[in-house]
Amino acid sequence: MKLNYLYAVLMILGFAACQKLDQEPKSTANRSAVFGSEAGLQLYANSFYTMLPGNATTLDAMSDYLAVKSVPSFIQEGAFAPSLSSGWSWSELRNINYFLANCNNPAISLDARKHYTGLARFFRAYFYFEKVKRFGDVPWIGKPLDVSDSALYNGRDSRKLVMDSVLADIDYATANLRPNLDATRSTVTRDVAFALKSRICLFEGTFRKYHTQLNLQATAADWLNNAAAASKVLMDKGSYTINTAGGLGNSYRLVFTNPTPVATEVLLASICDLTLNVLNDANWWWTSGTYGAKASFTRTFINTYLNLDGSSFTSNPNYKTTLFKDEVKNRDLRLKQTIRSGNYKRISGGVQVAAPPLFSYTFTGYQPIKWTLDDMYYDAGALNINSIAMIRYAEVLLNYAEAKAELGTLTSAEWAATIGVLRARGGITAGLTTLPTVADPYLIANYFPDITSPVILEVRRERGIELCAEGLRFSDILRWKRGPLMEMEWNGFYVPSLNTPMDLNEDGVLDVAFYQGTRPTPAVAGVTYVDVSSTISGKVNSQKLKDGTSGELTWMNEISRKWNDKQYFYPIPQNDLLVNPKLGQNPGW
Amino acid sequence: MKLFLMHHKKAFFIGTFIFIQALITFLPQSVYAGLSFNYQQTIPSKISGKVLDENGTPLPGANIIIEGLTQGVRSGSDGSYTISVEPGTYNLVVSFISYKTQKVSGIIVGAGQTSIQNIKMLPESATILNEVVVVGYGTQKKENLTGAVDQVTAKALENRPLPNLTLGLQGVLPNLNIRILDGKPNQAPTYNIRGTTSIGQGGSALILIDGVEGDPSLLNPNDVQTVTMLKDAAAASIYGARAVFGVVLITTKKSVSGKTSVTYSTNYASKAPVARPDFVTDGYLWSKMFAEAFVNGDGSFPQNINKTQKFSQAYLNEFKKRSESGAPYNQVEIDPVTGEYTYYGSTDFYKELYKNSNAAIEHNLSVSGSGEKTSFLVSGRVQKQDGLFRYNSDDYDMKNFRARGTVQIFPWLKIDNNADFSVMTYFNPLNVGEGGGIWRNIGDEGHPGSVMFNPDGTLSFSAAYTVGDFWYGKNGIATSRQVFRNTTGFTSNFFSNKLHVNGDFTFRNTNNNTEQKRVQVPYSTSLGVINYVGTTTNDLGIDRRETQYLANNLVADYEDKFNDKHYVKFMVGYNYEQSKYKRLAAQRNGLIFDDASDLNLALGQAITTGGGYEMWAIFGGFSRLNYSFKDRYLVEINGRYDGSSKFPSNQRFGFFPSFSAGWRVSKESFWKVKPSIISDLKIRASYGSLGNGNINSYAFQENFGISQSALILGGVRPQRTSQPAVLPNGITWETSTTTNLGIDLSMLSDKLTFTGDAYVRNTTDMFTVGLTAPAVFGATVPKGNYADLETRGWELTLNWKDKFNIKSKPFSYGIRLTLADNSSKITRYNNPDKLLSDYYEGQTIGEIWGYTTAGFFKDQADIDASAKQGPQMRASPTNIWYPGDIKLEDLNKDGFINIGTNRVSNPGDRKIIGNSAAHYIYGINLNADWNGFFFSTFFQGVGKQDWYPSTESEIFWGQYNRPYNNIPKWHVGNMWTPENTNAYFPRTMSRAASSNTNRTLGIAQTKYLQNVAFIRMKNLQIGYNLPKKWISKVKANNAKIYFSGENLWTYSPLYKLTTGIDVENTGPSDQVFNPGGNSGDGYNYPMLKSFSFGLNITF
Repeated sequence: MKLNYLYAVLMILGFAACQKLDQEPKSTANRSAVFGSEAGLQLYANSFYTMLPGNATTLDAMSDYLAVKSVPSFIQEGAFAPSLSSGWSWSELRNINYFLANCNNPAISLDARKHYTGLARFFRAYFYFEKVKRFGDVPWIGKPLDVSDSALYNGRDSRKLVMDSVLADIDYATANLRPNLDATRSTVTRDVAFALKSRICLFEGTFRKYHTQLNLQATAADWLNNAAAASKVLMDKGSYTINTAGGLGNSYRLVFTNPTPVATEVLLASICDLTLNVLNDANWWWTSGTYGAKASFTRTFINTYLNLDGSSFTSNPNYKTTLFKDEVKNRDLRLKQTIRSGNYKRISGGVQVAAPPLFSYTFTGYQPIKWTLDDMYYDAGALNINSIAMIRYAEVLLNYAEAKAELGTLTSAEWAATIGVLRARGGITAGLTTLPTVADPYLIANYFPDITSPVILEVRRERGIELCAEGLRFSDILRWKRGPLMEMEWNGFYVPSLNTPMDLNEDGVLDVAFYQGTRPTPAVAGVTYVDVSSTISGKVNSQKLKDGTSGELTWMNEISRKWNDKQYFYPIPQNDLLVNPKLGQNPGW
Repeated sequence: MKLFLMHHKKAFFIGTFIFIQALITFLPQSVYAGLSFNYQQTIPSKISGKVLDENGTPLPGANIIIEGLTQGVRSGSDGSYTISVEPGTYNLVVSFISYKTQKVSGIIVGAGQTSIQNIKMLPESATILNEVVVVGYGTQKKENLTGAVDQVTAKALENRPLPNLTLGLQGVLPNLNIRILDGKPNQAPTYNIRGTTSIGQGGSALILIDGVEGDPSLLNPNDVQTVTMLKDAAAASIYGARAVFGVVLITTKKSVSGKTSVTYSTNYASKAPVARPDFVTDGYLWSKMFAEAFVNGDGSFPQNINKTQKFSQAYLNEFKKRSESGAPYNQVEIDPVTGEYTYYGSTDFYKELYKNSNAAIEHNLSVSGSGEKTSFLVSGRVQKQDGLFRYNSDDYDMKNFRARGTVQIFPWLKIDNNADFSVMTYFNPLNVGEGGGIWRNIGDEGHPGSVMFNPDGTLSFSAAYTVGDFWYGKNGIATSRQVFRNTTGFTSNFFSNKLHVNGDFTFRNTNNNTEQKRVQVPYSTSLGVINYVGTTTNDLGIDRRETQYLANNLVADYEDKFNDKHYVKFMVGYNYEQSKYKRLAAQRNGLIFDDASDLNLALGQAITTGGGYEMWAIFGGFSRLNYSFKDRYLVEINGRYDGSSKFPSNQRFGFFPSFSAGWRVSKESFWKVKPSIISDLKIRASYGSLGNGNINSYAFQENFGISQSALILGGVRPQRTSQPAVLPNGITWETSTTTNLGIDLSMLSDKLTFTGDAYVRNTTDMFTVGLTAPAVFGATVPKGNYADLETRGWELTLNWKDKFNIKSKPFSYGIRLTLADNSSKITRYNNPDKLLSDYYEGQTIGEIWGYTTAGFFKDQADIDASAKQGPQMRASPTNIWYPGDIKLEDLNKDGFINIGTNRVSNPGDRKIIGNSAAHYIYGINLNADWNGFFFSTFFQGVGKQDWYPSTESEIFWGQYNRPYNNIPKWHVGNMWTPENTNAYFPRTMSRAASSNTNRTLGIAQTKYLQNVAFIRMKNLQIGYNLPKKWISKVKANNAKIYFSGENLWTYSPLYKLTTGIDVENTGPSDQVFNPGGNSGDGYNYPMLKSFSFGLNITF
């Protein structure tokens, strides 16, 4: 009897238990929930944005115009090998392809599906653009592959095939993204797609034009025309202008330091906001002696900033021996918004303090301030609240001007509407409305020996200045096929003599002095003394003067930087090639 | 062996069918037997007799009870006793302290009769064979065991000031491997039995507390009666799929029979770190070395010391001048121009961080007793350990309460209720400057040349990043864990105690809550100017996790002996468990003031909310058959059908059988060896196979995890999701098959006992990631049943017990030695090319591939003549090699240091240089008793183990890691210079050990591979049992005082290099905060040593 009860209880428990063995997750979503509503598509699409370089300000650490604390091994002779290569990562692509393969629920309006498909394809175009820039030929993969799919072991597809697909993707995005504007400039809109298209097409057009070994020159014009056309859409639309708020001499830098994106000019930005606890590390990176690359501009590049009257600074016969305090005067107003100079001041504990170039940071004297906030509070860690512009209207104008210049069809009116506008913001008063006619010998000698067109030369000058330290320079060098620029000497301002303290910002306080061997005594209070001996305790000193005891500062000339044609593409990383030998290695690696 | 894939309903019916058979067979008899108890009552019947000792002299005070009847008596002064009973058949159990318990079965008492039973007691000898060992759903005598089972009693845990039970179990049982990650008192490490389990799903031992899964770190160590380890599949399989890698059974104490007794114990301990890093604290020496390391490794003269201090040649020169002139350190000066502070300090941040010692105190009270039909036990404990941190102390507090009682409702039915409640709280202070553990923060910003405080009392910038945050004292995580558990069970017996039916029902609520506060910390770098660190994390986070767990067991067994030869015991049972976990978390920034502690006072817009849910259920039917013939041949068969919600429905059920057998050779008639030489010899063998049920819930479903984006999109930080993990196409259970051979030996009249086991455990079809797919796959390669692993090992236990007289008082002593080893090899893996970036067939788990260090470059000629080290290696920011840099051996003589094709067949210049797994793990226990004094000590150690210090390991690499790291004192004078070419380290250089891709010290190599074998005195006790005549004055029965020390002494070959590193605490950085991290070895809470005094008194 007693055991009968037990048995009955057992049976009941047993059946109850079996049902409990079916358990479903409740704290995660399933596929039908994510792809069954527009909100779900939005939820998923939010994951694409992590692909964008939140803080692109550091990318130019590898460029010709910034001297950094150590030579990137990629351009150091004998230092780079496929074993050190990286960037062969494809998870972002799969994330997009998975979305595209599932964004097909008829319960969602066609318009919405097209919009989100356009968004995904925008990011796929972005993804492949980056891959092609880095590696050249890459495999084209248009769907989430099964792990047993033999396509995983395919070789690479031709650049032509891949870039045609990229164009198809970005064209789909420009046609199907909803045309509404995002006032916060934080999300991808149809306008952003046009801007990206202009960037991609300019890259591809010029790349094909100058990299003749690809045998794709014949198609270069199509891409350039596409670049111009995409830019033109935005120019005609009139939604954007070059920012002039903040006044002459400030409006340029405001675009980079304002907490919220300057909506007139910025199309897409990485947003920072203290209240939402999203911050960037620009001050830390650009001011710390250890954290960042200690990047500062070379004199060769600073020399390209025009005088206010539109003339070339280097046309002055004494430009080579002009002192820092003088050479920053009377120049394109963007110069003083780009480097510490003149009466630039920082804020320490709420008080304005003079801020001449600081030789505990800079190697050349041309210390960047484009992205940094003036308050020193932001220097110690990732504390910056300025939103970082990723695509802005100035680039669109430059893309237009360059594409047309390369096509040989840029008119004076178009010059005025593009380069002219940008130079006007720099306070330049002449040459704004007519095409240049004189090829600047300085640009030819130092930068583009093969270019004879004054228009192309000036467009490239303008692009270098306007977009400096925005992470686009290295890809410009690649597409112009001007890799040897990476070998350019890292030089700094002119030092007339040793042991002579200099006042860099003319505030009456001496700032820096250069010496060799023993530091002059007595030391002048407040002066940073920099040893420019050829060796210090038996080791080569990286900081020297060009003519021994006077001349331009030089930095790290003892390390040879070398550009070979193979460097136009990164090598396929050693381990990835071992896994799939069919990928083949890029030439020369 | 594998009978999986059974449909669950079918399995259920088969499971219950066995049970029904058993019940139907015995049901009628039981009803009859039940009736027979209640309706025959005439003249009183009795059992009486005398209890005598081994010499025949009467033994007064012995306990005599009748099994199943709770009522018991004590023998009188002449040893006699009488018990009145109903007519029937009885089993009599007689016990007396230090005598073997005697049992007389089957006493038939007729109506009105008196059965005379004189009992002769034999003293308890050294034998451990009669020990009762806890096994799955029951107990067994050790002599009858056939599986590999090991057990320790409460003795191993006595008198030790343990913040939690797990610390006390470390090293106590051979091959029970408990890796304690660091010294935090709230550590809850996993229990491993017999080495690497699976490189796929993983899995550790199942821990059952009184038969129900539980967390031992929340258990009162004083409540523990026994801890049993079921090592092989035969012993563990009764628990099914979760027991695949062994079971640890912890049973808690039951009430003692007889009169009420009260035991109070207390101890007070003073604790301190086992090892403190021995860092350079001289500000000038540190600064000088910093500059040298920085110039060589970072390529220029430093302008700052990381983020918090300015640096220049002028500063260094000035510091040198002061140092050489003997001027006092710890000076803070104010720059007259800028108003900034300049520090010429000599600060020992670790001294600021730790107290010299921290106290711990424990009180434990237990009351227990029994009446005629009831018994009870109530125990409570308070354990408090002061934090080790000088400021913002990390106090630990644990309270345990247990109430247990039984009621004998009928002679055949007893109800038992066992409830316990535990609360653990721990406060873990935080650093808001950069987050992460304090040790890494000190490594980054605790520069000796800085100071804690500025002259105006504000914190320095260095301090605010490090210990100053603790001094400010507001930031931290308060952890609280609460467990309430109640088990109600019944035990019943039928047919003269041959059939037992036991059942229990348990519910348990576990709350695991944290509250985290991070407010900004003020500091000053210029006179009168206050800045803050932690401005981005000014927030309060509250996280509540609750797990509701239910378990239900029902077990019946029948045992009988036929013809005095055939002993049979059959057991069948049912088990159901379910667990539901829910989480609610919220975090918000913008605290209205620093001391705000409620979310209502957080006003910011950075709001994070989180949920969480998991539910699983398992259901199993099991049975066991034991058979022995003449106590000579022993056989045991176990089987269990197990179903788990964690597997997809077509794979949900598995059947897991096991077999074991034993042969007591010494019971054979041909065995002529004298018992005084070998008293008992048993050979055991077992074989069993189990599926691995240690798997995450929902692992087979496509899950889209939703989290908050780190980016601001459209003015908010929206939620996001992304592609789910790629699911495998068709998988099956991982299976672990264990073969075990064992021997139990008693020698020299049971003075010496030996137990040895050797095993092979094959874990097959391990659920591992597939062959590395080309990166274009774009996701983690889905897992599949791609790998096999073989673990071989053995363990030995040797016990010696003896006594003799010293000054006519008995001196008894014992020695217990345990030794265990295991090693695992991959026997199958989906890596045909044997790429070294992945597991490969033939790989021994733990092997370290590395280069051979040839020495240091002597001069330029040596550099030119040697194999080219770059670009694979890098010794300076300029890629230029200098004398004093590491020279690696070009093993393959190709002129370059390289990794070949990174395959086993072509590893470049690397080879296997060591193994990071612990080998020859041993324990030594010595104890002695004499005239009331007792002594015991326990040593534990590892015979062989290698350690290659990881990247970011400041305690080992010092400034070779990061230039601003602390310098271990043993580095000074031990770095290569042209004058000191025989140094241990290469020329000074920062960042040589901060990356393991191409930096000369970051990659494993022979010269810096450390031997971390060790022996540690885990515990030492000296105590005295106070004489009866003293304690009888306070009416106590028993009282003792003792000294107990933990971790008092250690030796390791590593200590030839330095004693500043605790050899047992070389694991990666703070695993509580960075679970799974693999760098920053030694950035950890230190293990503690302690001295304690205690008192234990029983009334």
